[in-house]
Amino acid sequence: MGARLDLFSAASAEGAWTVGEVTKRARAVIEAGLPPLWVRGEIAGFKAWRSGHWYFSLRDKSAQLRCVMFAKQNFMLPPPSDGMQVFVFARPSMYEEKGEFQLTVMELLSTDQGGLWKLAFEKAKAALIKDGLLDPARKRRLPPFPRRIAVVTSPDGAALRDIQAVIGRRWPLAELIVVPAQVQGAKAEASVCSALNRISRLSVDVVVVARGGGSVEDLWAFNSERVARAVAAMPMPVISAIGHETDVTLCDLVADLRAATPSAAAEAATPDRLEVLAQCGIVGQRLARALRIASRHVVERLDRTGDRLVRSMETRLEKSGALLTAHSARLDALSPLRVLARGYAVARDEQGRILKQVAQLPVGLEFRLRVTDGEVQARVEAK
Amino acid sequence: MAEFSKQLERLEAIVRRLESEDLDLDEALKLFEEGVERLRVAREQLSQAELKVKKVLEIESPS
Repeated sequence: MGARLDLFSAASAEGAWTVGEVTKRARAVIEAGLPPLWVRGEIAGFKAWRSGHWYFSLRDKSAQLRCVMFAKQNFMLPPPSDGMQVFVFARPSMYEEKGEFQLTVMELLSTDQGGLWKLAFEKAKAALIKDGLLDPARKRRLPPFPRRIAVVTSPDGAALRDIQAVIGRRWPLAELIVVPAQVQGAKAEASVCSALNRISRLSVDVVVVARGGGSVEDLWAFNSERVARAVAAMPMPVISAIGHETDVTLCDLVADLRAATPSAAAEAATPDRLEVLAQCGIVGQRLARALRIASRHVVERLDRTGDRLVRSMETRLEKSGALLTAHSARLDALSPLRVLARGYAVARDEQGRILKQVAQLPVGLEFRLRVTDGEVQARVEAK
Repeated sequence: MAEFSKQLERLEAIVRRLESEDLDLDEALKLFEEGVERLRVAREQLSQAELKVKKVLEIESPS
């Protein structure tokens, strides 16, 4: 190498290399001589640019290397932090504009504290806890009979089919509002946040955020602090069903209820109409029973009133009865029949006029004589 | 469609009033009739409803 690069022989005034020629040559030499390789070291001076590119140094006790990791390589990764021990798979190169030797990082792994994912998760979780967003007291009760249920999920995933089937069976009185979102990939975070934001302005009783199982990278959006905060800010209760039962995401932790699967989320969001129908039956029975009792009260009251009426009538009747007896006794005493019974007789002419005086009874007059047990014909024979 | 939970709340109130108070037969009958009608509507909703699904297209957030 030294023999071919005889720099002194080229060091004439007209033969001087330009800076660009040197860096270009150096880059070629480096890239030819050092193929992509794994490097281990400690992160220092980490900085994420707005463009999404990451810049940092890798160092050990004696040396350090400048590193860049471009956005298209890092978008699925939570950012590492200074002091973290990492492995990078990188291509050594020359950043010609600055004349710097640098590593272009393609992969970045950490086993520190459970790895990058775990670390990022814990960091975001700590931030959420600090703001009280994981406080169990924040969990809201789900509406017992939801009218409108919004679902944030992939429009063509199994999750949506499962949710639709369960709600259609259990509570078809509801209206299902599907707000499609990308649930994986670089745009998932923004897409889920925008879907949630959209729903927060609708009149919706409960929201289901769902995604089927996947790798830790697939579920990344649901571990983002931004999505977690968007869920926490929702004005209505949110049920989260992300990944498999074993994957607990930040979205799950912030939600009002965590369901193991999208179907379970749909079940939690709805009552079962068959149970509600049974409840209606019980209400109907109570209604009928209550009416019976209410009418029985009324009938009892009526009965009581009737009894009193009858009693008062009876009293009055009793009184009138006694009076009647007294009256009839008196009437009886006055009855002419009684008088006749005592031996008196009544004389009447043909017309029935009572003959009370001698003048009414000339000799020869035929008349009737009434005694106690009948009448006889009589005639005045002499005065 | 009347809100289902309101429907049930009203039914519950009717039953409780019927159960607890010494009502005129007239009023009791009126409550009972209302209860039966509400129950009928609720049952109809429960057995005849079909899930309505509406898709809301996502609008990219400006950020």
